[in-house]
Amino acid sequence: MNVVIMGCGRVGAALAKLLDDEGHHVTILDIDSYSFRRLPADFRGTALVGNGTDQEVLVRAGIAEADVFVATTQGDNRNVMAAQIAKHIFGVRRAVTRIYDPIREEMYRELGLETFSPTMVGAHYMHALVVGRPAPAVPPAGR
Amino acid sequence: MYIIVVGGGQVGYHLSKQLIAEGHEVLLIEKDARTCDRINEDLGSVCLRGDGCEAATLDEVGAGRADVLIAVTGEDEDNLVSCQVAKVRFGVRRTIARINNPKNDRIFRLLGIDAPVSSTQVILEHIEHEVPQHPLMHLMDLSRFGMEIVDVLIGEDSPVRGKRLSDLELPPNAFVSLVITSRDGPQAPNPSLTLGPGDELIAVTPIDQEARLRRVLTGV
Amino acid sequence: MASRFRRILVPVKGYPTDADAIGLACTLAKRDRGQVFAIYVIEVKRSLPIDVEVDEELQRGEHVLQLADEAASRNDFTINTELMQAREVGPAIVDEAIEREADLIIMGTSYKRRFGEFDPGRTMPYVLKHAPCAVWVLREPAPVEALRR
Repeated sequence: MNVVIMGCGRVGAALAKLLDDEGHHVTILDIDSYSFRRLPADFRGTALVGNGTDQEVLVRAGIAEADVFVATTQGDNRNVMAAQIAKHIFGVRRAVTRIYDPIREEMYRELGLETFSPTMVGAHYMHALVVGRPAPAVPPAGR
Repeated sequence: MYIIVVGGGQVGYHLSKQLIAEGHEVLLIEKDARTCDRINEDLGSVCLRGDGCEAATLDEVGAGRADVLIAVTGEDEDNLVSCQVAKVRFGVRRTIARINNPKNDRIFRLLGIDAPVSSTQVILEHIEHEVPQHPLMHLMDLSRFGMEIVDVLIGEDSPVRGKRLSDLELPPNAFVSLVITSRDGPQAPNPSLTLGPGDELIAVTPIDQEARLRRVLTGV
Repeated sequence: MASRFRRILVPVKGYPTDADAIGLACTLAKRDRGQVFAIYVIEVKRSLPIDVEVDEELQRGEHVLQLADEAASRNDFTINTELMQAREVGPAIVDEAIEREADLIIMGTSYKRRFGEFDPGRTMPYVLKHAPCAVWVLREPAPVEALRR
């Protein structure tokens, strides 16, 4: 698969490594080149400086050939905007989007983005730990 | 009308002040507590501290009964999301978003914002009005119908010079609504009227037919 | 008492201190041949139009004003009462004080704790900060255990 990831924070970089190890072609974007220090030295994908809400940057990142777009910056709204551009302007079939706010997450899921809320996933996970139930191996999506 | 304004910066503040003066019910949503207090002291109890992108905030301010939501923060993505939540969750009929990067105009329209407003674009349009040789000026969007109103100047080498209005081969659904002749001033678009250099046409056209209309009337 | 008060505004809310506020206002008004205005402000949520009529709220307001009237009667005095609607109570009280050219506001308040601390609410501090005239606040006695904590 061709995957374009926006945001090279801890999650973005870890995801890039997982996909790269499996042989997928990864392009990762961040507005700050310093973030790329989180990528492993043997990362075979492409790292690009630029804002994923900018169409020209997405074109440079090869969005036209992407099978999946992933938005994982700190800003919910930036993620939502970039994912919608990828899906509705460039016709990328799948747009995986991190949205912290559970209400917004639900709404954009209904609008066709593949969303997940670390807030709810984290709360459910910790709840399982607190009440002594086995923590779910695959965290539940949404609420 | 009940109008919700998101973002209490310079634009949001002055916009709210004006709308209140025009007699509208206005509610301003602003993140910063101190900015909020200042606005409330100045304009009365019109400002609520909160995040205008959050459905909970929009619910609290009664977005469900709002006629218009105007998002004018400094961040395009915040304005986009605020308008989308208002539209999708609360069925606000008309959403207006300030866009800081003019490139986002098309994206915002595509994503359902009724009226993206770019200050850069507004200034550019003013410049176009000031430059007389510009053959086609954009006057106004009728975005609900996918149409726009334009002003076309018939130049010395326009292909329609000497032609009658009835002979023009306009793009489908485009029509001339007013002719301003250089000799007699504004005229109803009488089919037998003959066009000459210096005449101006006010035309309504589907937005995607603008380029074709320009070619037909100006040759460029 | 040195000051003279001719126009006294008493915002009432159904607090136990309301009756004392009315009584005090009546005593002063009798002495100075002044007037007393008791107002009850219904705070209308943003999700509703400002002129909405919520029966429950209206009835409660009427009832609290009725109690104010009765408190005045016990002081052999007749007061003016008014029921108002506003988005926020504090600004509405200050606006009313300005409009009626009040020279004194007397308001009762309860003793409340919130998140483990004394909470004066929003209205009273707003009035203290913004009212152009004198403001007297009557607070109900605090429960002893609350002060010991």
